[in-house]
Amino acid sequence: MSPNIDNPAYLLQLVTSGLTNGALYALVALAVVLVYKTTSHINLAQGEMATLGAFAVFELGRHGVPVWIAIGIALVLSFLFGAGLERGLIRPLEKRGVFPVILATLALFLIINALVAIFWGTQPVAAPRPFPSGIEDKFDILTGPPPFFITHVALGILAVLVALLVGLWLLLEKTKLGLGYRAVAANREAAEVMGIPVGRMFMFGWGIAAALGTLAAGLVAETAGTLDFNSMAAILIFGLAAATLGGFDSVPGAAVGGLALGLVMAVVPGVFTFIKGDLSLVIALIVVLVVLLVRPQGLFGTKTLERV
Amino acid sequence: MPEPLLQLSGVHAAYGQVEVLRGIDLTVGEGEVVVLLGANGAGKTTTLRAICGMVGTRGSVQLAGTELVGKPTEWIVRRGISHVPQGRGVFGVLDVEENLRVGAWGRKDGKGIEADIERWYGVFPRLAERRHQLAGGMSGGEQQMLAIARGLMARPRLLLLDEPSLGLAQIITRGLFAQLEDINREESVAMLIVEQNAELALSFAHRGYVIESGSIVLSGTADEVRGNDDMRRAYLGY
Repeated sequence: MSPNIDNPAYLLQLVTSGLTNGALYALVALAVVLVYKTTSHINLAQGEMATLGAFAVFELGRHGVPVWIAIGIALVLSFLFGAGLERGLIRPLEKRGVFPVILATLALFLIINALVAIFWGTQPVAAPRPFPSGIEDKFDILTGPPPFFITHVALGILAVLVALLVGLWLLLEKTKLGLGYRAVAANREAAEVMGIPVGRMFMFGWGIAAALGTLAAGLVAETAGTLDFNSMAAILIFGLAAATLGGFDSVPGAAVGGLALGLVMAVVPGVFTFIKGDLSLVIALIVVLVVLLVRPQGLFGTKTLERV
Repeated sequence: MPEPLLQLSGVHAAYGQVEVLRGIDLTVGEGEVVVLLGANGAGKTTTLRAICGMVGTRGSVQLAGTELVGKPTEWIVRRGISHVPQGRGVFGVLDVEENLRVGAWGRKDGKGIEADIERWYGVFPRLAERRHQLAGGMSGGEQQMLAIARGLMARPRLLLLDEPSLGLAQIITRGLFAQLEDINREESVAMLIVEQNAELALSFAHRGYVIESGSIVLSGTADEVRGNDDMRRAYLGY
């Protein structure tokens, strides 16, 4: 047990940092889920595409574009890149089966990773900072000692996640585009018979996912302070774990899975100090395993059932 | 005879190497109800799928003179064909009303869509009661009603129904066919129905075809088909 166990500031700090990291996992998980729901593919390059997007923000910033405008441009470019990838690479390959697609996304992972290293080098660069991130940019909640505060960055990340979830919910539940997306996700062939342009829904899912990934990578870099060609490698693992935990086909599941994973990884080693922080990944994967043993479809996922 | 609404000429269809349809000729006139009978595996479902471009097809399928073979499914259904697939194919994770809205995907007339939703609620009151329930949680009969209402939301000229009575209780099937008869009379929606319950289907259809191993072996008015001895032995059981 940690000697600080009865200290509220310590516990609150653990929870805040857990939720902040969890929000980043949730964003990546959301991207994975949005691709999986319609096309049933897992894009292993999701993290690297995100890194590329974050470097686009960095590059635009270097040329004097204000950071929020740079993010906006990068999101649009990412959307187009994701949608184009679905149309130009994934859909032709899909006819040959699932494995060619998986291999293609793995190849993309390696190619994009290498290209980013070639263009921007292997040394970390200063991250674009959309939120004020100075040492004084925080809200003091408990004056302490020890003090408890929430940084503007942490608050910003959580605000972005909440805004995104609301936006996604409105888009998917309240628009015709969203209805078409959900219909394709529910039953591809039946959606086709309804006259829904199924291919365009696939592109839409891949595009939105790529944009979400870029946002996630931007925020990952913001938290770390730096950005490099491997920034998203570990985050992708956590994002995949979060998506598995929440249920691969569930948007709310991805959010809850990400936040839960972040919390467990921060709180468990923080409270039980004999578990070193290095082991937090192991803890997270154990949690995922246990959940899958009890609920194979994940916390919010739907069981696949085929009625003939 | 006026030009038929739907005309199949020499239609072949295959899943990979397996040829299922071997030169089908079939017509459906404007506002006509046609039933397609046959044993399991004879090619009934495949005929409907061939019309909608959901299986590799050769030959000619024309809707009011427009060739459909080789066109993508979404293009074909927008020309005025609604396909109610076997096993219903409702969107289980969407609620009843969302399912109906998906059915109206190709339409732009918002007011007309709202009016039609209310209209089918009037015809199928069970759906109105369950409008905000997920379709996947409803009974087989309710899902079948939803699938048909969804098909009609597109305001089709031609409705393709694949085994509408499958898995339904007798009394529900009768009610359903009564509804279809009304819809056909009032809307003059043409229908091509694949049905196991030959007796019931023939009592409602104008004409019938019998398909065997991918070929049409018998066709005629409903009465002619019903009166054929081979047909009676094979499908009506008397």
